[in-house]
Parts: sequence; C-alpha cells; structure tokens
Amino acid sequence: MVNLEELKKEASQILKEGKVKYIIGFQRSSNGLLPVPAFIKDPEDADKLVWDPACVYNLTLFLRDEKRKKEKEKEPDERPVGIIVKGCDSRAINVLLQEEFIKREDVYVLGISCENTGVLDEKKLAKKLKGKKAKRVEFGAKDDFVITTEDGQVKIAAQEVLAERCLECKAHFPVIYDVLIGEKTKRNVENPFKSLEKTESLPPEERWKFWKEQIEKCIRCYACRSVCPMCYCDECVADTINFVVTPENFVYHFVRAIHLAGRCIDCGECERVCPLDIPVRFLNKKLEKEAKELFDYEAGFDPEKPSLVSSFKDEDPEDFIR
Amino acid sequence: MEKVLLKKAFPQWVKKLESYTIYSPQKDGDLWNYEVIKNSEAIDLDYLNTVLSPKKIIFPQREVLLEFSTSNEEELKVKEVLPEEMPAVIFGVRPCDAKALTLTDKVFGGDFKDPYYWKRRNSTALVGLTCNAPPSSNCFCLSVDGSPYSKEGLDILMTDLGDKYYAESFTKKGDELLNSAKALFKTPTAKDKKDLEKIKAESKKKVKRQIKDTAKIPPKLKDMFDSPFWDEESLSCIRCGICTYLCPTCHCFDMNDEVTSSSPIQGERVRTWDNCQFPDFTMHSSGHNPRPDKASRLRQRILHKFQYFVELYKNYQCTGCGRCISKCPVGIDIIEVLEKARDYGR
Repeated sequence: MVNLEELKKEASQILKEGKVKYIIGFQRSSNGLLPVPAFIKDPEDADKLVWDPACVYNLTLFLRDEKRKKEKEKEPDERPVGIIVKGCDSRAINVLLQEEFIKREDVYVLGISCENTGVLDEKKLAKKLKGKKAKRVEFGAKDDFVITTEDGQVKIAAQEVLAERCLECKAHFPVIYDVLIGEKTKRNVENPFKSLEKTESLPPEERWKFWKEQIEKCIRCYACRSVCPMCYCDECVADTINFVVTPENFVYHFVRAIHLAGRCIDCGECERVCPLDIPVRFLNKKLEKEAKELFDYEAGFDPEKPSLVSSFKDEDPEDFIR
Repeated sequence: MEKVLLKKAFPQWVKKLESYTIYSPQKDGDLWNYEVIKNSEAIDLDYLNTVLSPKKIIFPQREVLLEFSTSNEEELKVKEVLPEEMPAVIFGVRPCDAKALTLTDKVFGGDFKDPYYWKRRNSTALVGLTCNAPPSSNCFCLSVDGSPYSKEGLDILMTDLGDKYYAESFTKKGDELLNSAKALFKTPTAKDKKDLEKIKAESKKKVKRQIKDTAKIPPKLKDMFDSPFWDEESLSCIRCGICTYLCPTCHCFDMNDEVTSSSPIQGERVRTWDNCQFPDFTMHSSGHNPRPDKASRLRQRILHKFQYFVELYKNYQCTGCGRCISKCPVGIDIIEVLEKARDYGR
C-alpha cells in the first residue's frame, strides 16, 4: 500500500535540500470531498500533503503555468519543480517531454502507484450513497474504498466507484519518475476501449444524433480545454473569432479532439470538469483507439519516440486517401 | 394575494396557462436545467438547483441584435432584431436566482434601458419555490442579504406544505396567473399560515454555509487591489469560465459581427456572454492586456461582486447560490476567498 508518510518524508527532504523550488501535490480542502492542488515551498508544509482516491486531478497541467512564469523572469530559478503524478499523469509528462514543451531537468517526478485501484468517480459514489454526503474517502486494505459519511463509515469495492478511465487504464503505476511510492502491481485490462462499445454499435445517424444533442449542451466555458495538460497553445484557435464564426459548438470540440489524437493520455479530466456532463472523453478515446489500431501508437509511454502526427512509417495504412 | 393550491391540481393550473411559454427545471441525466414544457404533467418541482439559472432565458448566451446586408453595392441596410413579445412563465425559480435578476435589472436598466433585455424581462413571470431544504450543499444566501424564501424578483412564491402549495403573489403579473384558474385556488386557513411560517423559519436553519461578517469585506477589498493575496489564491485556478458562466448575476457581454457572406456583405451583429476569466476579456487590439494573468482575473471576479457593484448599487453582486463553488474544477471556494481576504494581513 502507498505509505503517505513516505511521500511526506521524501517531499520534505527534497525541499530541505533545495533540490526543487516547490512541490505540486494534493492537500485537504476546507470544504468538499476532493482535495485541492497544493503548491508547497516550505519543508514543514510537506505535512499537508494527502493521498487518497479523491486525488483525481492531473497536476501536470500546472507545468504550463510554471513555464509561462519562468519565461517572464529575468533571472529564473533553474531548479526543477517537484510534481506528484499517478500513472496516467506521468504519461502526460512523457508527452510534454516528447513535444519539447518541458525538459527532463524541469521536473522532479514523485510518482505514486495506483496499485490495484485508482481514483474515484464522484458521481458514481453519490449514486451509491443515495443522498448521503461523503466527507472522506480512503484506500481500504482489500482493493476497496473506505467512505466516511455523516453517519459513519462504509466500505465499497473500488471497482464499483472507480472513474471509467481507471477501469480502462493502461498505466496504473507511473511510467516516468524520480521516486516511486507504492508497488508495481500487475493488472490486466481486458479491453481498454470498452466504454466506446455503446456508441460504436449505433448506426451513423444515431451516433450523429447522440453527439449533436450532447454538443448542443456546451456553453463554451472551455473547462475541458483549460484542465487539459496537452492544451498548452499560446493562442487557441477557438478564441479567434474570425475562425469559429459558427454558433455551433462542433468546430471547437472536433478541433480539440483532432488536436489531441496521439497526444491524449486519458486522464479523463476533461469529462470530469464538464459542468453539463458532456461525455467529451469518448471523442478522445475514439481517436486513441484509431491511433492504436491504425498505427500501433500509444501516447506517453516513450518520450524518445517520434510523435504520431510528426512521423510516418512505410507500412502506415493509406487506404483513407482516395 | 395569498392562496393555497392542492399539489394534485398544479398540472391543471399550468394547463390553464396555455397562452404562455412555460419553463421549468427538467432532468437530463443527473442534471437539472430549465426547458420549455409542452406537457403540464411534466413539471417536477422536486428538484435540486439547475446548472444554469433562469438568467439564460432572460439574457440568452447568444442573441442577434441586428442584421446587416448590402445588395448590388448599394448602401448598407441595417435591421434591428428585437426579441419576439412572448409571454412566459418560469416555474421553480429559486429565490437566489430571482434575486439575481433584480441585480441584472440594475445593469440593463440604468440610463440606457436595454430593449433586448427588457422585452424578455417584462414579458416573463417568475414563480419561485421556497427552499425547504437547501438545493446545494454550498448554498449561502443568508450571508448575502438573501433568504430561502426571499420574494425579491419574484411574481409568486410557492411554498411546499406537503400536499399543497402556499402561493403568495407580490405583483400584478402574479395576481393574473392566480386569477387565471380561480376555481383551483383556495383561501389559506389559519393552519396553512402557521405551517408556512414554520417552514420558513426552519428553512433558514438548514442553510449550512455562511460568510461571517460579510459587511466587513467590501471596505477591506478596497485596499487590496495590489495585494499578493490574489497570486496566492489563484495558484490553482485553471482559467476556465465555469464560475462566471454559471453565475446567476454575471452579466458581462461581448458583441461581434458574424459575417455570413462577404460579397454581397451579409451578416448579424450578435451579443454573447463574455467572461472575465478568459484572457481575451480585456485584451486590447494593441496586444496590451490590463488583466494579463489569472491572479488579476480572480481579483476582477471578486472585486466586481463585492466591491465595485456594492459601491455602484449598494448590493452584493452575489446571491449565494453556490454554483461557482460546487462546479469549480479545482475547488476554489468563494466563501473561503472572501473570508481570507477579510482577515488578510491581520
């Protein structure tokens, strides 16, 4: 099991030694079940770090802020930033390295293994608890979660309340790290694209109807884009009014999906944050499947490999060219 | 005017209002949203709060202001497009959301009376519902001069008394709605009145969250414009627009000409919601941006609601609905930010 004390000790140590300028991690929120991002500078504050199944965020998105800030500084602190990552988040680090958005020496990666479980889907949990408010969620001893509610504790098998992406996870422990907390457990995922089956089985007209209804709900708050570590463009095409002149939301969502092909590492954050519950993850998942099936490409496993859209092989399929 | 209506007679009342467009909260998946209702039986008032407030009906996210065109290189023709006069009733409005409209009224009803806004506002009646229990765990209406049974902005307030609704009408529009089905409404008994008072008193106790000493916040914020506080508080902000787009009181808008044909020129001038959390909100054409980072944009959101608006209109521009707290992707909590600001540097 992941030992939180080990994480705190490591964090405190690297801060004390001045190895990192600060650590991006998770800390308790004053209200609500999900922890909030923590930016820890003082070694003593390392004690505030938490690790539980509600640590859903992919913190690598904050590397974008760090890079922008550093670019503006006259004499920037060249030390790396410590960052706490789960397996999926670590794949994002690899993509950012591959695309040369960050350099390896910019980050000190504190990897945490999800072992046999993963993170929570708050909505699934809310349904399970039928109106009772969860105050705290912790990893149990038997691949279960221990939920503290107003009326005491309940144990729920992790499988029942895990985020969809965790059920289809390809990297339950970090693929890149400087320190690894937790064990490298074995886990077999039978079908990493299972969630796509439902929409894929629909005839094209019905699939179109499904997406039309979903995407019409979009209010363009751009939370899916803002939370995505891969959406680091200085200027997004969706913000230039002379490009997206259509009142429809399709252009935005499809441009984003295409731009993430071969880059999305399925952290699922885009879908979690959508205030209108639009299943945006499916769009990215579908392209992830295409990349795998057509080009045998999986994002975020090897930073040395050329990226999907900037390379080709002789044996690449070309039957789509007519 | 005060009346009671049996719950089972509620659909019959709605049926009598067929000359109106009827909106009410509808469930889609796990979420509630206001939709136009075709069938009076389809109204379910046993709902939590909607994702978007009724603001989206009175002040839509995108609306056409005018159409322009040229033909055969003649002069430009401009045609104003005002919303159709369409009497509407919105059922199930939460008191915080109704109060929010009284705040946007101030903005769109100053020296210039915005005809687009007022055409919809004047032709819409708001039928509210007392929050017997808070619809969100982040409700804090009591801390911003509101209450779970506030009548501000409402034409009628309905209170659930178990098998019946107690309906209080405060306006001519409200009286008309009650009079449209006179036979269905009864005069409240002394017991009904007693029950109403009891439920109202209890509803106040159920609001769990609060801002302490809200009144101390606006004067404090006045001296915090250049404070490093905003950098600290905005560290985890991801710059999305959820907090402002879901806010029932946010009203900033942008105008653009959407050209559908360049020769001959044809297009529409549209007004869309704008969002102070977006980088291009204050971007100048020179490239200069007076609010260049997320710290200055969080500051803008807080100061607009708790300083500028208070100075201008003597009201907080927040009604405590809690949407921005519940839906923030990274748990930024306006109550916490305000309380920290109030105590900052002490």
